[in-house]
Amino acid sequence: MFLIQCPWCGNRAETEYRYGGEAGISRPKDPDALSDAEWSDYLFYRSNPRGAHKELWNHAQGCRRWFEVERDTVSYKIARSYKLADRNSESGS
Amino acid sequence: MSDSSRRLHGLEFFLRSQQRPDTKASGIHARILDDVTHVNLRGNSNDAEFNRGVEKVLGQALPVEPNTVSIRESHIYWLGPDEWLVVSKAADSPGLATRLENTLRNIHSSVNDISGGQVTFTLSGENVERVLNKACTIDFDAGTFKPGHCAQSGLAKASVLIGCIEQSRTFELIVRRSFADYVARWLRHAARHHGIEFR
Ligand SMILES: [Zn+2]
Repeated sequence: MFLIQCPWCGNRAETEYRYGGEAGISRPKDPDALSDAEWSDYLFYRSNPRGAHKELWNHAQGCRRWFEVERDTVSYKIARSYKLADRNSESGS
Repeated sequence: MSDSSRRLHGLEFFLRSQQRPDTKASGIHARILDDVTHVNLRGNSNDAEFNRGVEKVLGQALPVEPNTVSIRESHIYWLGPDEWLVVSKAADSPGLATRLENTLRNIHSSVNDISGGQVTFTLSGENVERVLNKACTIDFDAGTFKPGHCAQSGLAKASVLIGCIEQSRTFELIVRRSFADYVARWLRHAARHHGIEFR
């Protein structure tokens, strides 16, 4: 069983969650100012690293909140999971 | 109370399809409850005014600890950091949402009566944990899942809210109405070796 720690509910099975893709991608403030390449980069291109990856998860069958997880894409080891409000701090576990 | 205000669980057909009640000693007693009010409540539990208003209407404080349920006149389940489910069987509970709405009118909050969308089961008997453990990743063992604990999770693929509401290992199981028949049938099948009786 692959456990993910919800910042509120604690460790729960992966089956309770929904994956939300790479974290930290914000919508461009002025889409009209973007070139087609820049816009498609925002829409479609993701870093897909081998190793540490920050990603969004939703606790779909639990508290239904979004949060961020720092996961190693090779070992699946989760370094930390934290509330979106804490994304710029080093807290969280 | 007029008949039109009654809140029926809708599983009468399931109950009629029950074979002779099984009376094995270790049996599980399942009750499907009628006339239960469910109110979904959202707000900021750090807002003293919100808390005061809620307590004035409910007579009990909201649980702020995740995965806990406050068990008094109402059962108040923690659903999220700003969301609770109030479950009440009180005779005046059909007016609960209106009373909360009126009291919280000028406070940032949301009150929704979702009674018609949910079905409440109570499960008791010494083997209840074993049956629930069959198809849920939460550990319902008496040592870890104590009275006042609750969890939203999946039971046999259905999204459920389960709370331990009594020292005597009685569980409240809340499911979406459209899943109630399926969950009841799953319970009947999963508990067949222990004997299960629905009322
Ligand atoms: Zn959660």
